[in-house]
Amino acid sequence: MYDPKKLAEEREKWLAHSAGWQERKEEFESDAGVPLKSLYTPLDAQNIDYLREIGFPGMPPYTRGVYPSMYRGRLWTIRMFSGFGTPEETNERWKMLYREGETGFSAAVDSLTFAGVDPDDPVDWLEVEVGKEGVPLYSIRGVEAMVDGLPIDKMSVALVVEPLTSTAVTSMYFNVARKRGIPIDSLRGTTQNDILTMTIGYVPWHSLKPDDLLKLACDLIEYCTARGEAPKWNPVNFTTYNYREGGIDAVQEIALGMANAVAHIEEMLSRGWKVDDFVFRFAFHLAAQRNFFEEVAKYRAARKLWYRLMKERYKPEDPLSYQFRFHVQTAGSSLTAQQPMVNIIRTAYQALEAVLGGCQSLHTNSFDEAVCLPGEESVRLAVRTQQLLQEETGVADVIDPLGGSYYIEALTEELEHRIWEYFEKIESEGGIVEALKSGWLYREMGKAFERRRRAVESGEEAVIGVNRYVVEEEEPHPPFRTNPRAAEIEVERLNKLRAERDNQKVDRLKDELRRACDKRENVMPVLMELTREGASIGEVTNIYREMWGLWDVPIMG
Amino acid sequence: MEQKKIRVLLFKPGIDGHWRGIVTIAGALTEAGMEVIFAGFKSVEGMVDSAIDEDVDVIGYSVHSGAQHAWTRKLNQVLEEKGVRDSFLIIVGGAIPLVDHESLKKEGADGVFGPGTNTADVVSFIRENLPKSSITAD
Repeated sequence: MYDPKKLAEEREKWLAHSAGWQERKEEFESDAGVPLKSLYTPLDAQNIDYLREIGFPGMPPYTRGVYPSMYRGRLWTIRMFSGFGTPEETNERWKMLYREGETGFSAAVDSLTFAGVDPDDPVDWLEVEVGKEGVPLYSIRGVEAMVDGLPIDKMSVALVVEPLTSTAVTSMYFNVARKRGIPIDSLRGTTQNDILTMTIGYVPWHSLKPDDLLKLACDLIEYCTARGEAPKWNPVNFTTYNYREGGIDAVQEIALGMANAVAHIEEMLSRGWKVDDFVFRFAFHLAAQRNFFEEVAKYRAARKLWYRLMKERYKPEDPLSYQFRFHVQTAGSSLTAQQPMVNIIRTAYQALEAVLGGCQSLHTNSFDEAVCLPGEESVRLAVRTQQLLQEETGVADVIDPLGGSYYIEALTEELEHRIWEYFEKIESEGGIVEALKSGWLYREMGKAFERRRRAVESGEEAVIGVNRYVVEEEEPHPPFRTNPRAAEIEVERLNKLRAERDNQKVDRLKDELRRACDKRENVMPVLMELTREGASIGEVTNIYREMWGLWDVPIMG
Repeated sequence: MEQKKIRVLLFKPGIDGHWRGIVTIAGALTEAGMEVIFAGFKSVEGMVDSAIDEDVDVIGYSVHSGAQHAWTRKLNQVLEEKGVRDSFLIIVGGAIPLVDHESLKKEGADGVFGPGTNTADVVSFIRENLPKSSITAD
């Protein structure tokens, strides 16, 4: 115990004493601009009511974690985002990762799967992109080959596809599971299905209007969760990671995630559902960026804020709906092409942030990812980075080990205020959908791009190997290359499917999808039939485009 | 002799949606006094026609998919077919490994800028390497 008055006096003495000691900089601040003191004492956390603001893990306000036992019960899932070339090659890599100790799968798809275009679409030279950024999943056959022989009844799978194609790809996956005799109501996994990833994280070619993307996102939530078809599946994963990568700060990251979730809740409520019908399956995917303690405080603040948002606004009955569950990905944008081995160390620190912050699953980047998809050697090291944290360091043995640090508690509280403030700012812009349409969000992203560029180029933001400790003549690391024959293989796969399927049935189902789009009914029931019968990703997505029209994205604000 | 304002056409070839790099470079070149036309996601053919119509000096594109070689060859092929290769300075940026710089130059890129590039280097590269046709007396 301490006497606050006495402590304040002693602190004054110490301040007077330290005044003569010069500091490295005039001002210290966190990445999000929170001014930092040189030292935190009980005085900085004295107004924090422990039971109300911090509490116990698994209990409101969940600041210390969403589960009562956290990693003492079960370690976080090692989930590596992976995919390239062909579904068969991706399957081999997934098997290798499984052998190396990965405990969850995550599919990275290529730009065609993301945009909903077939490889034989007459678009100019599309074939060069096949299998380049991820695995090509153009039909049920691609998905089937990707998970062939893998224990998808026991291990969860994340499908990293966004609202333009999330409904199609998820229905393909569900059909594959059924074909293998696994009922979809027992399937565990996630579809990313995030409208902001689709709009400000990555600007896809020939995309739909934000309202239509939100409609599709909610169709999946409604089908899986509210209607209970796949109750163990997470039908949405608000991926703040993808917008954070553009250079926005930790405060903006969490506020955008909350505002994004609110847009989905409102859409679901307008369809006549209650919060308890679907919110319990909402999950998040956050970044682990450069500023160590701020990131740890961010995870804690996010849990607390989600609880507050639910309690103040929606009042669900199910305790699960108050629990902010999240995956973390270490920051790809922090990696450098220069001196790539340094990326191993960056990633390790970032992974530690995620673990000290209580993540539910984690992806660690590979050291070569500034310039290419990871090769086997680098991805194995990335898995080992997590295993080292789990099995050698002991960091998972005590829950929320930084909780109670005067600094962390003060920073958590400060971030909480700032995040709520920015969240209200987004709401004053009309919420996520309006802020996209007006271009406001694009302007916010543009400002972040510019701010980061200036900070790095002026040297204000240190980047080892780029603006510090530069090595002039670097030995280039040989990049991993994807299969140059991928397009040929995928076009052949599609041709074969089109020749073998019942085309009359497919055409009839396509008309049914058009009718569902026209009446704005949930597209999932018809998609379950359509993709089972062999419709391709382009065939499905082009129907959305045909029925609803394209969106002229206000990229430059 | 004075230089006219340098005109730059920037685009993303194909359908890859990684947009931070191209928007960042657009801002930096504008700040350096250049006139930037940002064309978004376009076909290579369409871009060459726009570059001719807009009378630009520089064509820049960014690739994050690993298809940098294919897009560079394609652009060069279209420029040659239309007989305008020498009218433009061609620059490419993005997630490009160091080992690809020389081969991309052989395939038709004048300047290659990978991750960690300081935009000031892009600005000076453009100023020093502009095609002669674009330097006119005032």
